[in-house]
Amino acid sequence: MKLKAEKIGLSLEIEDQLLNNMTENGKIYYPNEFGGFLFGYYTNNNKHLIITDSVLPIKFKSSRYNFERSTEGIEDQLYKFHRESPSKFYIGEWHTHPDSNAIASIADILAMRSIISTPNSCIKNPVLLIIGDSKSKVKFSFYVLYNYNLYKYE
Amino acid sequence: MDKSKHLESVIRTHQITKEQQLLDKHIQKKNEVKEALEEKYGSNIYPPFNSGSYAKNTAINTKFDFDLVSPFKRNAFGSNGTLEQMYNDVYDFLYDKYKNEAEVKKQKVSIGLEFYADNEGDVIKIDVVPGREFNLDQYKEDENLNLYVYYRYGNFNSGSERIKTNINAQINNIKDRATKEKDSIRKIIRLLKIWKANKGNYPTKSFFLELITIKTFDNNEITGSLWEKLKTVLEYIRDNVTNENFKLIDPGNSSNDLADTLTTYEKQQLSSDMKNMLERISENEENLKTYFPENEKFKEKESVKNGYGANSGIPIPPPKLNFG
Repeated sequence: MKLKAEKIGLSLEIEDQLLNNMTENGKIYYPNEFGGFLFGYYTNNNKHLIITDSVLPIKFKSSRYNFERSTEGIEDQLYKFHRESPSKFYIGEWHTHPDSNAIASIADILAMRSIISTPNSCIKNPVLLIIGDSKSKVKFSFYVLYNYNLYKYE
Repeated sequence: MDKSKHLESVIRTHQITKEQQLLDKHIQKKNEVKEALEEKYGSNIYPPFNSGSYAKNTAINTKFDFDLVSPFKRNAFGSNGTLEQMYNDVYDFLYDKYKNEAEVKKQKVSIGLEFYADNEGDVIKIDVVPGREFNLDQYKEDENLNLYVYYRYGNFNSGSERIKTNINAQINNIKDRATKEKDSIRKIIRLLKIWKANKGNYPTKSFFLELITIKTFDNNEITGSLWEKLKTVLEYIRDNVTNENFKLIDPGNSSNDLADTLTTYEKQQLSSDMKNMLERISENEENLKTYFPENEKFKEKESVKNGYGANSGIPIPPPKLNFG
């Protein structure tokens, strides 16, 4: 799947297989939310993002309307991906909205903003994937934080 | 967040030259209206001139205001002609000429022409401001004009009042200042106009914001970054506009007090808006972006150059994140 945030001239791509894996992982915890970390790398003068992997949190809390993950155990993964070729790194987050739409909530926007204000996060434009999972269909929405605002990829 | 850097970007993305095509259309239409008035009124009118923000170099590209001041001779509408007759005559002429291509409406002291969208969706707005010299042939010497007040304008009552002013003196009020100070004043005026445009139909006139900015510079030592200068102006408005003795003298006529263009309630509203704005920005400086947004239309093109941003080092996710 290839998507663009036309307004800011950024794009991304992700394999369908990876999206399916995340969706299946989310279904395990239905009707509660679930999510994880996204990894990938930038190409084309940093205008294009290729999302290659998802890492699931070891510890998390979740309910029907909330998902809070910790970073326990993530450090090893960061270095493992960094040593690969091409070198991959943490680029954002994903989580599910069970029985709901794939639209970013206020909490989601605030969480994305807190990424860029965290020392050492190093990324200026974190990406957010929301999987809106209802019984009849699954919807994916990708967002990127740019100049403190969320832009949706189409 | 570098507040001044953001404010500079706000100004840059609102530069009128970024809308060159729309600007050209306004200039062309303004010239057409000017020629039509000169043809209709012949020797009874002095050359109409543009007095809006474009003339003062304080224009922003989200709200063009082209004011075409039309100075009439004292006897243009008969030796006993009234200002009301002048206003209505100009309205009738403009209505007849443009009724099929524009909405023609009577405004506070002007006649608004809002041309219907052209093939490219652009809407041109020109405000014609009829004015009359005080005495026959005096305009050539003093450039003073009487304007007709069509409807209530702050504390100026409709119909019964006239406004005497000198519009060229208003334009030169900024132009005559030292270059460095002039640039700062223009930047702050543009920012206040962007704030006002963002609030929709706000009662405070742009001219009021211009004068109060200049007054702040006249009454304070204004130094520092762009944000610090803007903050000083916002604080000055907050602290002074509701004072009983507060005056904003029209540089075109020292007996005109622009403070009278706002009612007491509107002044309180303005002061309270400044107070809230300063408090919200103090709580979280990112709120500055809500009050002074960049023009998305031009921000986009600039952003394309940037791409995804990353600092050196391995990115590390924040320890706890809470999603909803």
